[in-house]
Amino acid sequence: MLIIKNITNFFLSLRTTLWLLGFMLALMLAGAVIMPGQNEFQSIHSVPMLEWLQKQPGNITWWLWGSIGLLSVLAVNTLFCSIESLVKKRKVTQWLLLISPQIIHIGFLFILLAHLLSAAGSYQATAVAAEGDMLRISDDAVLRVKEINIRSDPYGYITDWKVGIEYLKDGRLFLTDMIAPNSPSTQMGFNINVKDLRAYPEAVLLQISREPGAVWALAGGILFMTGILALIALKMKMER
Amino acid sequence: MTLLALSLASYLFALWKRPLLYAGLILQVVYIVLRGTELGRLPLVGPHDTIIFLSASIAAFSIPFGFLLKDRKRFFDAVMVLTSVLTVFVMVSGKHNAPLPPVLKTFWFECHVVLAFMSYALFGVAAILGYIYLSSSSPAVTDAGPEGEALNGPRRDSISEGLQYRAALMGYCLFTLSMIFGGIWAYLAWGTYWLWTPKELWTSILWTFYSLYLHARLRNWWLGRPMAYLGIAGFVITMFTYLGVSLLMKSSHSF
Repeated sequence: MLIIKNITNFFLSLRTTLWLLGFMLALMLAGAVIMPGQNEFQSIHSVPMLEWLQKQPGNITWWLWGSIGLLSVLAVNTLFCSIESLVKKRKVTQWLLLISPQIIHIGFLFILLAHLLSAAGSYQATAVAAEGDMLRISDDAVLRVKEINIRSDPYGYITDWKVGIEYLKDGRLFLTDMIAPNSPSTQMGFNINVKDLRAYPEAVLLQISREPGAVWALAGGILFMTGILALIALKMKMER
Repeated sequence: MTLLALSLASYLFALWKRPLLYAGLILQVVYIVLRGTELGRLPLVGPHDTIIFLSASIAAFSIPFGFLLKDRKRFFDAVMVLTSVLTVFVMVSGKHNAPLPPVLKTFWFECHVVLAFMSYALFGVAAILGYIYLSSSSPAVTDAGPEGEALNGPRRDSISEGLQYRAALMGYCLFTLSMIFGGIWAYLAWGTYWLWTPKELWTSILWTFYSLYLHARLRNWWLGRPMAYLGIAGFVITMFTYLGVSLLMKSSHSF
């Protein structure tokens, strides 16, 4: 019983939060020293991060493993503190003041979940393609680059571009789409972007990616901001 | 360049005649507007344009904070020194006049950058307020008063420390918003909302640091001098995240 109480107190403590954040900072600072000097980090986005981590030597990834461990404890700590706060202060009149820090915490947890999902199941592949080239994106679907339009200024700087693509299923066209800057093509759970272009001869570096955590990250970001803006607004109101 | 030299002179002479702060700020705003008109876009790419935006933002944010302080002179003097140093950096750094890559021509990028530099400016103001707190021989005596209690609650013993917290909180809010906009933009441009490069790692360090700062303030032990030191350390990390990483390391933020 005493052990359960000690564990509960540990997770309910603000001191735990501060120590965890402090250790997180120390680990990330170590990572900031290690990362730029190691070529292995160039491939960090080529496979899901958890898969990448398992393949890399521990002497360059220990800080990332440590950060994941600390973030897991921090997630539990956040959850415990939020629940305790809601239970303890449920009778306060200014419920927005009570709820806004918890909205921030939920947003933070959503963002952590997003990173976890992406670290476990993201996908990324690139391929160079010219007009007419075809790329297989699933067992029965193929993407064809229909046209590449690149606009340049007199000095040779690319000012705009558009890439027309077609999706074919079992050899038959079922959709046409256009990729432009900041406007990817989204099909079958994949994001199709143009990562780079070459004007002469015209070719594109296509990137096919999937980010399972993207929606959670967006939801988390919106919740986090809603909470923080509500908190600031309330504090300003109270000071008046 | 004349406008920059005049703004530098205004900031330096504002050490004696404070109204010249406004002149320096106006001159920098005019310079930014002229640069934007010349380039036909938001002038926020490359050290030249971003540092002047940072300098002008620090000057602008310092005004409301300064007027809430009793010890205004030392605060504005520190602001003037910081903005002058930044203006010198602007004058010696090269301009980025090339057209923007198409991927940068988006609302998300503009918001991401503007918010990031506004947050850096607020972290700078917070650091100066920390310095004011530390350099007061007896902060509780020089700064405290009925206003201090009304603004910060009974356990806060200094206006400058309370203002530092507010600047950091607002900076944190803008910085988080900037990260969210950056994530949306990265997802649309490159299909991923987060890339593990040195820039993003330092961004995480900065965000975690200010998360620690804001949580630490909830414990009495951290109030006063520890918070002031944290506020100053935060700005050192901010400047490294902004300039150090860009100059020393290859990152996703090099265009």
